[in-house]
Amino acid sequence: MNRIALIFVAALAACATTDPPESTMASARTMVAQARPVAQQNAPAELAVAQDKLARAETAMQRGHYEHARMLAEEAEADARLAWITSERVRTERALQEERNIR
Amino acid sequence: MKLPLKLTVLAAALAAGCAISPEADRQLTEARAAYRLAADDPAVQRHAQVELKSAAGALQEAERVAAEGSNSDLVEHNAYLAERRARTALSTAQAREAEAGIVAAREERRRAQLEAREREVALAREETQRAETARREAESRAALLEHEKLKVVREETAAAELAAEVKGLHAELPDVQAKQTARGWILTLGSEVLFDSGATLKDESRRALDNLAQFLRKHSERGIAIEGFTDSNSPKDAGQRLSERRAQAVKFALVQRGIEPHRIDARGYGPSFPVASNETETGRQQNRRVEIVINPS
Repeated sequence: MNRIALIFVAALAACATTDPPESTMASARTMVAQARPVAQQNAPAELAVAQDKLARAETAMQRGHYEHARMLAEEAEADARLAWITSERVRTERALQEERNIR
Repeated sequence: MKLPLKLTVLAAALAAGCAISPEADRQLTEARAAYRLAADDPAVQRHAQVELKSAAGALQEAERVAAEGSNSDLVEHNAYLAERRARTALSTAQAREAEAGIVAAREERRRAQLEAREREVALAREETQRAETARREAESRAALLEHEKLKVVREETAAAELAAEVKGLHAELPDVQAKQTARGWILTLGSEVLFDSGATLKDESRRALDNLAQFLRKHSERGIAIEGFTDSNSPKDAGQRLSERRAQAVKFALVQRGIEPHRIDARGYGPSFPVASNETETGRQQNRRVEIVINPS
């Protein structure tokens, strides 16, 4: 009986509205901006995903779909981080290759 | 018990409505695989602990929500974050490994260059030393050769000069025999030229002694030996003493003419070392003699 009630509450909570996720949005924007100049060349696909997610998060914010916006912003930040580190990895591995070719 | 039954049905309906979608399930499976891949990588353990921990947090959240079976979107969201973060961890580790590789490669190249340069320097130094040694050897060989050559020339010149001088001397002294031997030039003067009897020089010997003194002054580097001899007619001791006194008399006459005494070695040998037979008067006359040995410088 208690367990069923808990599940019920949890299901409702999952669909509940929240405050605007300003700080999550801010860190997503920062991460995308940081990734953009380096990732454009070495990780364009990952960067495109991040930029698309951030745009959708911005739209969701405008419409007041804050929970949706928070999730999209979190994903955009993770995408941007991956895009950035992927481009860093590609750049570094290329540099290593060049370094080894010098000999 | 009717109400609880209704509630159960309602909860089931709600749960079914938010049940984990195939999409969320697929995403979760992908996240687990990506996380496993990253977590098993030793390079990630070394370089990307923070990123891996962040992936683990999202994956736990996804698993927790999935276990509740209530919110597919939240499962998918967290699984997505877990998968991205796991891949971020992997990429971070690979980038760090590549960076370390660059540092190592540069260090290796720098070391190889340094070694090559050191080898070159050592080689050049060796080469220089070899060249210097060869130069010095050649120089000293040349110097030695030059020295030898000069010595030979000097000796030849000196010998030629001496020969000329002795011949000149000989020409001035008609009664003197001159011959070149291993001991040097030997001038032999008959005792009658120098002495009447005893050990007193004759006046007539003055010219011969003047010439001899002049010759010795000219050749100041040479010493001479004055050796007196007698024939075998007089008793041995008397002959010995006479020959000594005569040699001394010649030495004294030369010292009077300005020759340093240390250059003159005067000795008597009596009747020893005859140059002719004592059986005839001619032979005995030849044996009564004073020999002046001019040392070869």
